[in-house]
Amino acid sequence: MRRLSLTRAQRRGLLGSALLSLLILAIVGAYYAWGEAYQARILYAAFVNLLVVVGLQTFMGNANITTFSHAAFMGIAAYVAAICVTPAAMKAIALPDAPWGLNAFQLSPVISALLALLITGGLGLLTGLFMARLTGIGVTIVSIAVLVIVHSIFLHRTDIFKGNQAFFGIPKIFDLPYVAALVIVAIFAARLFRESSVGLKLRASADDEVGARAMGVDVYRARLIAWVVSTLFFAVAGIAYAFYLGTISARPFYFNFVFLTVAMLILGGLRSVTGAVFGTLLISIGLEVVRWLETGPNIAGVKLPQMLGLSGLLLGAVIVVVMAFLPKGMMENREVEDFLPTERH
Amino acid sequence: MDYAIQQALNALSFGAEYALIALGLAIVFSIMSLVNFAHGEVIAFGGYSMVVIGTLLTGNPWILMVGVLAGCVLASVALERIAFRTVRGADLTTGLLTAFGVSIILQNLYLLLGSPRPMAATQFIFLDQTLSFGTLRVSSLQIYETVATILAIVALTVFLRRTTLGMAMRAAALDFEMVRLCGIRANRVIAGAFAISGLLAGLACIFIMARRGSVQPHMGFDPVLVAFVACVIGGFGSLPGAVLGGFLLGVIEVLVLILLPQEAGGLAHAVVFALIALILIWRPDGILSPAREKGDKR
Repeated sequence: MRRLSLTRAQRRGLLGSALLSLLILAIVGAYYAWGEAYQARILYAAFVNLLVVVGLQTFMGNANITTFSHAAFMGIAAYVAAICVTPAAMKAIALPDAPWGLNAFQLSPVISALLALLITGGLGLLTGLFMARLTGIGVTIVSIAVLVIVHSIFLHRTDIFKGNQAFFGIPKIFDLPYVAALVIVAIFAARLFRESSVGLKLRASADDEVGARAMGVDVYRARLIAWVVSTLFFAVAGIAYAFYLGTISARPFYFNFVFLTVAMLILGGLRSVTGAVFGTLLISIGLEVVRWLETGPNIAGVKLPQMLGLSGLLLGAVIVVVMAFLPKGMMENREVEDFLPTERH
Repeated sequence: MDYAIQQALNALSFGAEYALIALGLAIVFSIMSLVNFAHGEVIAFGGYSMVVIGTLLTGNPWILMVGVLAGCVLASVALERIAFRTVRGADLTTGLLTAFGVSIILQNLYLLLGSPRPMAATQFIFLDQTLSFGTLRVSSLQIYETVATILAIVALTVFLRRTTLGMAMRAAALDFEMVRLCGIRANRVIAGAFAISGLLAGLACIFIMARRGSVQPHMGFDPVLVAFVACVIGGFGSLPGAVLGGFLLGVIEVLVLILLPQEAGGLAHAVVFALIALILIWRPDGILSPAREKGDKR
């Protein structure tokens, strides 16, 4: 029997993931100890974003290629899961004109989620076959094309997706502990992928593609695997999104969400999983503060005016400032365990 | 016959608008390898300066047109000075993300200082009248748009071939270091590119405003997305490619609208973007990409 042996980097990866998981558990614990009920929704949204950003890191970070199509894959998974899991009686009201008997069946949550993973992963494989062949900016452009195509299909087939209107009546299946568990699994998975053989090859090809090829790295294969893996992360995020909110619409799965998550990743530093986690948490907290300012609160007796657009302003400013002064992000190439005192050899 | 002429004119005027915007993207890209997604917000800036001048100073459309052009040139040059100078020489992705960031900032500034709802600015509507030639009825705006775009392309060609700055810009697209060694100031060449890009944005803005009659924070995003596709199809950084791509997209869009059944009209965008994905997979550098030779810097 072959013993499961881990390299030193992989052992450190497990340590780092465990530390990040402690952080996530601490946040959830703090919510249950002191949080207010409305904050559960905010925290849940932040964790869904975290799933997406960690998934982005697996391809965008390791291969160092910017992509924008993640919102599309997340949307596909959310819609598949929602359509499968919603009771037929409810769908008769929500989707009266749906073709192919889409509104006449109901599946269990587990099967719905598996189906969503399968379909999204299949589409990921299909697009990945083309994506992995392109290089650099070509991938970015095609990913924008994927995003626009999927979005216009969502908007066009209102009989299936309801377009910009809400698809409602999805039963609430997940709660905060579920998504926290998913986030922890995702952190471990992303970190182990980063330290795996494929992850290492991918990072090598990002640093020096010609050099990596010369050393025998199959860059095409590494990119394809990473692409499909990252779409699975987006699928999980989409399922978690649909299983909690009760309603979904096409609007959130477009450029605004793409920029939000990309800003989270590049602020933290796209090469490290720790960066993805820190960036997401920082921007989520920052946005909550700004959203509160946006409504025009009273501070020390002074009534501030209502300022719509402030949160978008902050997001844009984060992207511009990080790109200009901190292009590698806060964490650069480091992970959380690199800050621990190192053992001497 | 009338129908065919009508649709051909539709295709020409759609194409002209895309070509104008695509040229504005391509001229900046050819010199500093920046995909300037904030171009759409420059167009919107033209619209907002029209609202401001229109309510504070004068409603005279001719003065307003000058105001829109000047506003767009100023905005474009200011963006280069404030935002894009720091990422000069950085890789494509950094520039692209910066441009997206600038675009988000500007959209939200319009939202914050202006209004999330459309603001009326109807002074250019008079350009859009229905002309009749016998049985043929055409929109005057479409004719103006096509003619103005062709004139702008001719003027740009003359500028790039006959003036020192123009020649410096063409040379800079091939080898920026060499141009600087010849004693031309880099800042002037880049500022020149952004000024021209702003002027083209202003021209596009006038026609967009004549059609819409109102200005909105997000109005520039979709046209620039399509113009970006035009650039990609034609080969990024190639000016003739941008023009060709723009007109080609106009034709494709009209064809999609004619050939697909009525209810599929919403899918025009999807078809166009599927096309660009296929073209990129077939020819990763675009149809008219400049031939690359050994020693070229890019």
